[in-house]
Parts: sequence; structure tokens; C-alpha cells
Amino acid sequence: MKLPRARILQLAVIAAFAVIVLRLFYIQVIDPTYKINADNNVLRYTVQYPPRGEVYDRNGEFLVQSKEAYDLVAVPREVGPFDTVRLASILGVTVPQVRKELRKAASFSRRRPSVLFKQISKEDKLRFEEYSFPGFYTVYRTVRSYPRKIAGNLLGYVGEVDDKFIERNPYYRSGDFAGMSGIEKAYEEVLRGKKGIKIQLVDVHGIPKGAYADGMYDTMPEPGVAITCTIDARLQALAEELLAGKVGSVVAIEPATGEILVMASSPSYDPDEMVGRNRGNNYMKLLRDPRRPLYNRAVMSPYPPGSTFKVINGLIGLQEGVLTPGTTYPCHMGYTVGRGVKCHNHSSPLDLTGAVQNSCNAYFCYVLRNVVDNRKYGSIKNGFDVWADYVRSFGYGRKLGSDFLDERGGNVPSAEYYNKKYRGSWNSLTIISLSIGQGELGATPLQMANLAATVANRGHFRIPHVVKRIHDRDSIDARFYEEHYTKVDPKHFDPVVEGMWRAVHQPGGTAGIARVEGLDICGKTGTAQNPHGADHSTFMCFAPRNNPRIAVSVYVENGRFGATIAAPIASLITEQYLTDTITRPQLVDYVKNMQIAYPAYAK
Amino acid sequence: MLSNDNHIFSRGFDWVAILIYAALVLMGWLNIYAAVYDEAHANILDMGQRYGQQMIWIGVSAFIALAIVLIDGKYWHMLAYPLYCAAILLLVGVLLGGKVVNGARAWIVIGPVALQPAEFVKFTTALALARYMSSYTFSIHRFADLLRVFLILGLPAAIIVAQNDTGSALVYGAFFFMLYREGFNGWVYVALILTVTLFILSFLLTPLSLLIVMIVVCVLAEGLSNGHWRAKIVYLSGLALGAIALFFLLPLCGVPMTMYAALLIVTGLSIIPAYIYAYRHKLRNLTLFAGLFVGSLLFTETIDYVFDNVMQTHQQKRILDLLGLESDLKGWGYNVNQSKIAIGSGGLVGKGFLEGTQTKYNFVPEQSTDFIFCTVGEEWGFVGSTLVVSLFCLLILRLMRMGERQEEAFGRIYCYSVASIFFFHVVVNVGMTIGLLPVIGIPLPFFSYGGSSLITFTVLLFVAIKLDAMKRGTALQQRL
Repeated sequence: MKLPRARILQLAVIAAFAVIVLRLFYIQVIDPTYKINADNNVLRYTVQYPPRGEVYDRNGEFLVQSKEAYDLVAVPREVGPFDTVRLASILGVTVPQVRKELRKAASFSRRRPSVLFKQISKEDKLRFEEYSFPGFYTVYRTVRSYPRKIAGNLLGYVGEVDDKFIERNPYYRSGDFAGMSGIEKAYEEVLRGKKGIKIQLVDVHGIPKGAYADGMYDTMPEPGVAITCTIDARLQALAEELLAGKVGSVVAIEPATGEILVMASSPSYDPDEMVGRNRGNNYMKLLRDPRRPLYNRAVMSPYPPGSTFKVINGLIGLQEGVLTPGTTYPCHMGYTVGRGVKCHNHSSPLDLTGAVQNSCNAYFCYVLRNVVDNRKYGSIKNGFDVWADYVRSFGYGRKLGSDFLDERGGNVPSAEYYNKKYRGSWNSLTIISLSIGQGELGATPLQMANLAATVANRGHFRIPHVVKRIHDRDSIDARFYEEHYTKVDPKHFDPVVEGMWRAVHQPGGTAGIARVEGLDICGKTGTAQNPHGADHSTFMCFAPRNNPRIAVSVYVENGRFGATIAAPIASLITEQYLTDTITRPQLVDYVKNMQIAYPAYAK
Repeated sequence: MLSNDNHIFSRGFDWVAILIYAALVLMGWLNIYAAVYDEAHANILDMGQRYGQQMIWIGVSAFIALAIVLIDGKYWHMLAYPLYCAAILLLVGVLLGGKVVNGARAWIVIGPVALQPAEFVKFTTALALARYMSSYTFSIHRFADLLRVFLILGLPAAIIVAQNDTGSALVYGAFFFMLYREGFNGWVYVALILTVTLFILSFLLTPLSLLIVMIVVCVLAEGLSNGHWRAKIVYLSGLALGAIALFFLLPLCGVPMTMYAALLIVTGLSIIPAYIYAYRHKLRNLTLFAGLFVGSLLFTETIDYVFDNVMQTHQQKRILDLLGLESDLKGWGYNVNQSKIAIGSGGLVGKGFLEGTQTKYNFVPEQSTDFIFCTVGEEWGFVGSTLVVSLFCLLILRLMRMGERQEEAFGRIYCYSVASIFFFHVVVNVGMTIGLLPVIGIPLPFFSYGGSSLITFTVLLFVAIKLDAMKRGTALQQRL
């Protein structure tokens, strides 16, 4: 009886310890989850943010800089008594805001640091450091700054990524910033640099205890690459100044290279407003502004091109052989066939050069009808499509392929479109307004500037682009070096150029106001009817006539005649660029003082 | 007072036990060092740190062990009752005027030294129990004698509970291990095991499935004892059909019915035909199994009541956590979860001395005291923790063997008591760190930081070694 009991107890002891050893074997050798959990406990991956690449203008002037900024961080349990009012006044916030943020941080974690206020300026940070705020400290980051405060829509802004963005771009993590529009967006991958990772060991309170494996797995952040863009900052500033208070756009291109010298969209905004702690409020304010300052009209707004489009029609006529430079058509205050198209008072009849110079509506009605009704194409539908193909070869009705991701293509209708719209019964008279750049046509200011450059080049263009050099590369994208020829032979351009020259230089020309002695500006005005109110004022030009260095397109909504406002602006831009001076301050004042009413935006 | 034996250090001493002791104490010290380690205080002898203080306690323990070896073992029998009484008085004193640490009024503070008398009482209780149970008039089968045994155990346990230190009081339950060796009724243990099983099942199973399990188990037990398997099948299927019929028919009469209630009613009614059957076949022990069923049923209902109405929230949560029914890794499940992560992340051979991230960065609470085994598991891996656990197992088996070697009941009972205490402490402590048992705050012998516990376990062990050595020493001399 004695022995079995002792034996049973021995077995019980051995069994109990066997269970323990088996359990140890299971959790230590077989089940891997505990090892992962231990790593998750102790390893903290901290992102090291690189400074974002700078943006220079074509002359090496800073357009965008990365400047230091600080996040104010607090560890709630270490926060001692502090002067709440002083902290609030340093940060420029209210006392309840400070308390609210601190409560939020405390409810997240009392031991871990939380960001209370983001992007505090260096000056505020220095003032913050003059006093003692136990438990608060600042963390280095960089923010964008815009020394010239111009070109908001062109440069774009940088914003914190949201969940949707992260889903589409897995590179980003919550708290990262990315370019959201303009150059910042188009060249995000160049500018953003490469984030680094620092792996630290932390204790149970989340307090760093040192580098993991002596920093063997850490990576250094690589700063973003700087970009030199094609913009001329001073010219851009002038354009924005002239456009101030008006709605419209100025685009200037260097014809030989396709480099965009100016891309102004008005109303614009101070890009610095999209940085820092007031960004959210400012953004909402801009978003709610009925004039839509965040809308980059230069590449997005499809405007009726108006009379500037006559240039294209004339060129197509010459190429198609339905017109010679000497062909004349009569005009007595309009084109009288069908519903008719009105014209203004000028001598009659006119040849092509004269028609361009005087912007005769009737002349181009004849031309368009001759092109689309050409018997060799069998029908208006075929004839129309031939015409539309010509137009598209000038970069209208399609995206040019510039480096603006938000670029829009505008509109050039197709025969099919009219077939649908008129159920097959339409003819050249139905679409007669296309001859003078009205009707279903829509072109962005960029496309119109490109047209000016194409005419300046006598028949070819390079895709307009805004980046001149990426600092770690030898060249920009190959597509910007290709010459694109229109379907019109270069030999046909001279009469049109002559007409544009005369429009500026000869009495009776539509754009005498644009004339600057010695610059040989060639221009074409446009007065575009639109359903939203007064006519839009537009003007495209290039200069000098031979070996042109600049092509400009100006579009001012509701600015009435092309010569009223668009031509003076284009002229001033051209003069500034070519001569680096403004000889007509009274013209500058005239432009600046012009008040334009925008009832359409008042809603 | 000194023993007359000239070869006191070479004769009769169980050197295996002493070596195991030395190994465990050394490992314990290194692990406290690792658990508390921080680079600013890297000197293992730094008296400002726990490992430095523990070294003093190790020295004190070694001195006491030496004294025990030198003092004649006969005195322990003589001193058993006076020591027991003194210890009880000390406990009462602490209860009245002790210092409160972690909610337990269980500490005496003398200058820089803090002692926990409840630890020492284990030793005096073991002595007193050994003396009482070894008296010639004692019989474990006599009710009055058993009552006195439970009085000796219950008195310190009750005072310790009153000190709000329930974990330490539970240790006195460990003496059941020794009592079994001394011939305590085996059915008590069967009942205990059944009770625990039922207790766990009552949480894991729904009432209905628990009822089905109880019915099937009782019928199976009856079948094992009486045979008649065909009748059992008929009986069980009859119950099932009856319950289903009741479940569907009664609601038709407008009486709402659950499956549980239906089965319970049918089972209750089945007692009548069952007894008729038993009477015909002369199966006399049917009442035993019927009683077992009713008892289990009442017990599970009681558990529900006790759990909902008697237990405190933290006790409820520990049980639910252990059974894997609820988990709150940020709250009360945090300790055990982090402890399991620490031990589990150790892998086969561990992360290396002082390399345990869980330990070093304080993810495990109480890591130098109750959760010291985490450091062993994390830094020494499966190999190291198995070694430690095996050494404990060996020590306990060794103590049991010492008990069996004793010629007198006093020594045997004492050795088994010590084995019981070690067994309980090691299994409960390690079991809790690896999530096998609920969290009960008791120390791991020789490992957990603290002087009281180290000294007590040393005294417990060395008195057993001394008692063992006396017998073997004389036996060896006689053989010579």
C-alpha cells in the first residue's frame, strides 16, 4: 500500500513537469507568433523625411524652397504645469485649442509622443524654446516656401496624403506629404526624394533605448532632386500682376524649344497659403471662392478661340489648294449666305493677308466652306473630318502631352458629332461659326500659345513643357525634343505671318495697340462670343517676326475686344521679355486699372 | 550542540540536492541581474540594485544553510510546536501592524530590510504538521485527528487570507500532496479532480452540452461498474427521444420550453423506470451514480452562482482569460500575454544573456519577482527553461526520495511537505507565466527576488537534507 502511493505521486510530479516542458516546447519552438510579437513590441520604425527638391526658374532664381519647420510634440505624462496662455500666443492659437489637442494626445497615449500642432515656423519655434514647457518638444521637418509668392497653380501645392491616396500609391504612409497639383504633382517622384528608415529599440513606455543592430538596417533619407523649370519668374510675376482682378490666363512659350516662359492663371493664390497650419482653412477658402482660384485655367479651361482660330482656317485653305494668297473675297459687313455671319467695317474685297490683318469674318466663311465642301472628298462628312484632322495637327482638340498632369484637350468636334446632333442633316452652313473660332470649338490658353509658337516656327512645334532640367539627369523626357509638324506645309505660312504683322503695324490693323517699335510683333486678336456674358478678349502673338523668341497667348474672360485688354497684356509681356524694360507705364496702368465685371462668377 | 560526527560534510548528505540548490540559486541570481539590468548600473554587486541586494540574501541563506547543517537535527522535532506558535503570533502581529505592499498587509520593515513572515510560516507549519502526524496516537483515518491537521493548516492560511494575500494562502492546499502519501482517502482526490474538471467544463460548455456530458459520463460510469450495455443504449436513446418530443410538443400546449429544460425533465422522470430496472436486476449501486449526477448538477449551478455573485472582477477575469474565453491584452490579460511573448520569443536556445528585449525593456511586469521565469525563457530559450524546470523536478523527486528513506514518520512527513511546497510553487509559478494556470502571485523558489522567500526555501530544503543526513549517517556508521 505504501509503495504505490509514493509511485503515484512521483508519476504525478513527472506528469506535471512533462506538461510544462511540452507547453514550453510549443510556445518556444513551434509557434512563431510570439517571436513576431516580441519584435513588434520592441522595434520602432521611424521614417526619416528627406527635404523636398527645390524648384528654380530658368534664370536660377528660387521659385520653391524647402524651409525648416517644426511639429510640436507632447508626451502627456511628462507635461508639467505650464503657461497655457503663453504657449497659445506663441503658436497663434487659442487656449481651448491647446487644451483640446492635449486632451486628444492624452487619450491616444499618455506615454507616447503625439503631434499637437504641425508646421510651426522656425521663428515660433525659437520663441517656444525661450520658455520652459515641460513635456513639449519640437520635431524637424521641412515645408515648402515660395520666395516670390507667384505661380500658385503652376507650381502646385504639397498636401498630406489621405487614405485613398495611400491605397493608390503604396509608397506613401499616413503622415507623408505629396505633390497634389502643378509641378509638385507632375514631378513628385523627382522632388520627393527617398525616405529613410531608422529602427530603434523602445521600451514598454515607447521610449527609445538605442539603435537596433547598431543601425545596420537603417537607411538615410535621400534629398529630393532639384528642378530648373522653364518659367521666367519676373515675366511670370508681371503676367500675374497684369491679370490681377481679372479672370483669364497668360501663356508664353519659347517657340524654338517649346519651353513655357509664363503660365499664369487668374485669379491665382499665394502658394505660401497652402503651407503651414492655416493650410486647411486657406484651402477651403480657395475651394469655396466662386472664381475658382485653384482651377488652372491655362491648361484646363476650354475657351472658344475666337478670331485667333482664323489663322488655322487660312492655312488649311492654302494647303488644300482651295485658296491662294491672292484669292480675294468680298465682305460688306458680313457673310450673307444662310443665317449669315456679321463682320465689322473694313475695306473690301480682301486677300488672305488682308483678311488676317482685318480679321474679316466673311473671308474665312468662304474658306471653311470651300474646304469642307470640296468635291474630292465626296461628302461634307468626309470633308469635315479632313478639316478636323488639320486642326488637330495644330494641337487643338487633344492633349498636347505637356508635363502638366491636369492638362485638358479642349474640343474639336468630329463629323460624327454633328451627325448625332443634327441626325445626319447638316451642311457647311450649319457649322459656319467654326470658321471664326466659335461654335463647338474649345481650346486652352496653352493650345493657343502653342498655335502662336507654331506660326512663329512656320509650321512646327515642340510640345510645350515647364521643366528645363532635372538636376540629376542629363536630359528631360525625349518627347520634348521632337518636332511636331502640322499638316500644313511651312511654305504656306508667310502670307499669314504677314497678315499678323500688319495687324499690329499697319493702320487699320486690329492690334495696333500691341505695337512696340523695333520688336516686330506679329499678332492676331480674337473677340470670342460666349453664353456667359460679355465677349472674351484674346490675343496671340509672337516676336520678333524673324527668328521669334517668344510666343504669347492672352485670354481675358469678358474682356470684350481682343485689342481692349488681351493685346496690351501680350504686348507688355513680349516687350518685357525681349528688351527687359517697359517703355509704356501708362499702358501698364491702363491694364491694371481696367475693371471687368464678372456676373457669371458672382453667384 | 554540534554534532559529534567528525565527517559531517562527507557523510550522509545528499550532495545531488545541494548541487541542484547551488545551481538554481546561481541561475536565479543571474536572471535577476538580467531582469533588472540597465547599462547605468552594470555592476552585478551594486548594492543599490536588486541583484546586489539579492547577493546579500544569498550570503545570509548560505550562512543559515551552514548553521542548519551544523545544528543537530533532533532540535527540529522539539522546536516544532514553539516555532509554529511563534510564527502564528508573528502573523497576527503583521496583520495588526504590518506594512502594506501591493494591497497586502504582509510585511515587516526593519530598517532597510523588508520581510514577509507568511513565507517563514510555511516552514513552521510543515514542522508542526510533521510532529503532530508522526505522533503515535495519530491516525489519518480518524476524523478528529484529520480535523486537527486541517486546523494546523487552516490557521495560518486564514490569517494570510485576512492579510489580503490569497496567493500565498493557496500554498497550504499543497499539503494535500503530502497527505495523500500519508494515506488520506484517495476518493477525495478523485472528487477533487472531478470537481476541477467540472469547474472548467462549466465555463467551456453551454448548459445543454454540459448536461449531456454529465448524463453520458454518469451512465458510462454506471455501465463500467454494472455492465448491461444494451440497456444503457436504450436508456440514452429514450432520453433523447423523450427530450425532443417534449421540446416540440409542450410549446403546442402553450408551455414555452427550452431543450435544456426538456432534457432535465425527461432525465428526472427517467429515475423511476431506472430504479425499477435496477430492482429487477439487483443493481444496488444505482443510487451512487444517480447521486453523482445530482451532485454534479448542483455543483455546476453553484459555480455559476459563485462566479457571478461571490468572486471579484479581477478573479473572474483571470479565470476567463485562462480558459481562453475572453482576452483583453491591454488590461488584465497584459501580464500573461507579455510573459508568453517573452518566453515564446526565446526560441530553442534563447536570445542570450542580457539580450532579452522583452525583459530589458520592461514589457513584462514584476519581472524580477513573480515573472522571473520570463527572463529564463527569453534569454536561455527552450534549452535553458527545460534545464531549470528539470532541475526543480529532480529536486522534488529527490525530496520525495529523502522522505521515503526516513525511518521515522516525522522526517518523512516533513520531506514530503517540503516537496509539496516546492511542487506547488514551481508548477503554479511557471504554469502562470506560460498561460497554463491563472495568475497567482507566488514566487519561483530561488529565482524570484526577495530575501524572505529565498531564506524560507533554503531552510525548508536544508532541514530536509539534514534530517536525511542524520539517518543515512547513522545507517552508514552502523554498516561500518
